[in-house]
Amino acid sequence: MIALAPQAALATGVLGTLSLGLLRRPPALALRAIAFTAVAAAMLLSAWAPAETWSSLILTVDPKSVGWQYLIYLGALPLALWIDGEDDVLTALFLGSTLGMSLLASARNLPMLFIALEFMSLPAYLLVARSRPGPRGLEAALKYFFAGGTAGALFMLGLSFYYADTRVLAGATTLNSLGQAGAALMSAAALFKLGAFPLHWWLPDVYEAASPEVSGFLSTAMKSAAVLFLMRLCELAPEARFIAYLPAIGAVTALVGSVMALRQERLQRLFAYSSISNAGLLILGVGAWAAAGRSADGVGSLLFFLGAYAFMSNGTFGFLKHAGVETREQLKGLGKSMPVAAAAFTILLFSLGGIPPTGGFMAKLLLLWRAVDANLFWPVVLAAVSALISLSYYLGMTRDLWFERPHGPESAPGRGAPLVIACAVGIVLLGAAPWLMEAVVK
Amino acid sequence: MSMPLTALWTVPLLGALVCAFLGSKARYGALAFSSAFLALAGGISYLQGSPSALAVLTETGPQWAYGVCYRLSADSLSLGLIGLTAFLNLICVAASWDLKVSAGYWACFLALASALTGVFLARDLFFFYAFWEATLIPMFFIIGLWGSSGRLHAAVKFFLFTFAGSVFMLLALLALVSAHHRVTGVWTWDLGSLDPKTLGAAAPYVFWGLVLGFAVKIPMVPLHTWLPDAHTEAPAAGSVMLAGVMLKMGVYGLLRVAIPLFPDLSVEMYPILGGLAALSTVYGALCAMAQTDLKRLIAYSSIAHLGFCLLGVLSRTSQGLSGGTLQLVNHGLTTGALFLMVGFLYERSHKRGLSDFGDLASRAPYLAFFFGFATLASIGLPGLNGFVGEFMSLSGAMSAPFPIFAFVGCLGVTLAAAYALPAFQVVFWSPAGPDSVSAKVSDLDFRERAILWILCGLMLWIGLAPKPWLAWFEPALRGLVR
Repeated sequence: MIALAPQAALATGVLGTLSLGLLRRPPALALRAIAFTAVAAAMLLSAWAPAETWSSLILTVDPKSVGWQYLIYLGALPLALWIDGEDDVLTALFLGSTLGMSLLASARNLPMLFIALEFMSLPAYLLVARSRPGPRGLEAALKYFFAGGTAGALFMLGLSFYYADTRVLAGATTLNSLGQAGAALMSAAALFKLGAFPLHWWLPDVYEAASPEVSGFLSTAMKSAAVLFLMRLCELAPEARFIAYLPAIGAVTALVGSVMALRQERLQRLFAYSSISNAGLLILGVGAWAAAGRSADGVGSLLFFLGAYAFMSNGTFGFLKHAGVETREQLKGLGKSMPVAAAAFTILLFSLGGIPPTGGFMAKLLLLWRAVDANLFWPVVLAAVSALISLSYYLGMTRDLWFERPHGPESAPGRGAPLVIACAVGIVLLGAAPWLMEAVVK
Repeated sequence: MSMPLTALWTVPLLGALVCAFLGSKARYGALAFSSAFLALAGGISYLQGSPSALAVLTETGPQWAYGVCYRLSADSLSLGLIGLTAFLNLICVAASWDLKVSAGYWACFLALASALTGVFLARDLFFFYAFWEATLIPMFFIIGLWGSSGRLHAAVKFFLFTFAGSVFMLLALLALVSAHHRVTGVWTWDLGSLDPKTLGAAAPYVFWGLVLGFAVKIPMVPLHTWLPDAHTEAPAAGSVMLAGVMLKMGVYGLLRVAIPLFPDLSVEMYPILGGLAALSTVYGALCAMAQTDLKRLIAYSSIAHLGFCLLGVLSRTSQGLSGGTLQLVNHGLTTGALFLMVGFLYERSHKRGLSDFGDLASRAPYLAFFFGFATLASIGLPGLNGFVGEFMSLSGAMSAPFPIFAFVGCLGVTLAAAYALPAFQVVFWSPAGPDSVSAKVSDLDFRERAILWILCGLMLWIGLAPKPWLAWFEPALRGLVR
């Protein structure tokens, strides 16, 4: 059972924060310390545990699942440092959602996959509503809940079709039309979670309404879990026909995300569309991985992309929180008033745009390379065009930061600069020494 | 020093880092590191050129995942262009000496020199691409932070346009590496060992992907529209590096990557590519004739000049290749000098329009002399460097199939005189109009004259005795003759 130690650490964290909440005024520092310790402990324990492979009928902990857990904790760690320490429930919800994700990494059959999915999603709805109290947050949370609920329902319906056809809960070798329909429905649930076109409509509203650090969490840890979810589906239903459509869906999603982001004035909404675009690339990557016989290379490229994205997205949302900016207009002239944080943000923007020598370039390169290897000509060209379009607004923001004069009153910077800088340093290291990531994951 | 080639690109990079932290003293750091860079490049070229060291310098690092390998090599073509980079970089530092700019300015120029050197050294296509893209970042900031009024638009346009070309270059490289792996089972990005035959029927797509990336950079008509904006809005020294070295990356890419990998395809596609090159010479000249901004005029003339280089190189005759390559250096010197002088004018008067000046020759005789000298070199007056390059390029194109391209190129030569000489006349000889700002223009000071004496001296040297220069590049080009 030692293999489940990371999950135990997270569960202890949930209990700890909730018990502290019994006090009239829970100490903010203690709450944040518990959140950070729980996630960091889970990270360390998962690095230490994989010496053994532990397996039951429903969960398997092997090096592969540990790699994914690692990635999820990496995406979650910044929020642990940054979460509003006044609110014990918020902290507990965050840790609970992370726990659900880590279970997803080890799920072995379809029902367990569903349970883990709901485990990670239900706290996330409340997280969005609570992170920024008010009608907008509530509305977004409701929207998120309905979208997530639809995804869950689709999955259950698909699972019942699948079971009715095959009488197994994982890894059927042949699928009849009923099973195919079931697999397609289940994949729709995964695409919903990832925000694939045309199931992406909920995502910008949610990311915009949540506080920036929660959006960072949703776009990194949650996205890693969703990609993993899609990959598990591909593994558990290897004969499913939907797999062949993934590259096309991914390429179109990438393109739609980039084009929609072009005209956004509000930054959180812009980065929401940018995350849709990146999700599109990831779906393309999953499609390439499945088309090329589910090789370890393909998994490696996806892991690398998500790892790099954990730095980029947490760093960018972190900067929004740190600088207190909401619109593109407010970015103007920030290079003068907060040069160091703005320089770190610029590095992250270049990385998102895929310019060497950054980790974002390596990530895009490895991912598209797998797709080129799988002979996916048109999806790759579409993805390249999408990368080009997205570069225009990343460059536009860089221009606003450095080349424009400031408008209006300066906002007082927060205390998040070290985290943004850490993300920027991390992404440069990933670009200059990509094997670091490989070594960690292995 | 055991790794001279690594030092060659890390010295300016180190300089950039040092300058960034030097604050108001950064220009001294920039001068020191630029001089060291030029000395190092000169030293390596000298040792390389001596008969005792005929072998091409090479450095190879360990093999990484997917066949990526740190592999540098310097033949005469690479060293020639690195020498040009180092020389112009030092000229830029000297020319910007009195500007009131922050430390970032000097750091950007050194970082740019480092990335450019990397492009010319890399023999592993992964590193080639990484350096290629990395050149964009410092230039983006040079244009955006220190450029003139339209800099915001120009910086983004420049970056996006060139990135668009190189994305397809990257996809082509990925396809090539993947195909090589599929057939031979070996992952490699090594330019020397990649076998394009493994591509089979996909070869033309890969070839065009590469050519697209290079053609944007050169730029070849109709992919040139980023150039006039970028060159016009960049600060004077930025325009010098853009025109002097960054445009050369495109032709270098053809010479180093596209032609050696696809020798037959590049001959087959000569009717299209050579035609576009010939068109560039005429189109660039015609556009230059219509300009009213002096800097924009020189920018368009660059398109025409690079058309000559391209025509010579693509003809794949020994004359054409030598002439086209020499023309790369020539263009760096002449256009560099012209951009610098427009910069000096702009510093004094904050104007660049042709009609803003008049009768400058009597107010600023040194400026008039150097400007006239560089203009004559640029339009190909015999005895100066432009003539040698253009003549050899055109005679190379003449002996290749489709000599009509050479005729079109000759038309371009004539048109060059038709845009450059009237512009000179209006600015320096015509009587000053009522709105003229000529009165504000003082003559060049000692530092500026010294820079231009060096540039003009080199133009004269190449023009009178081109042989050592041609002989320098010849070994690298020998294998490319069709």
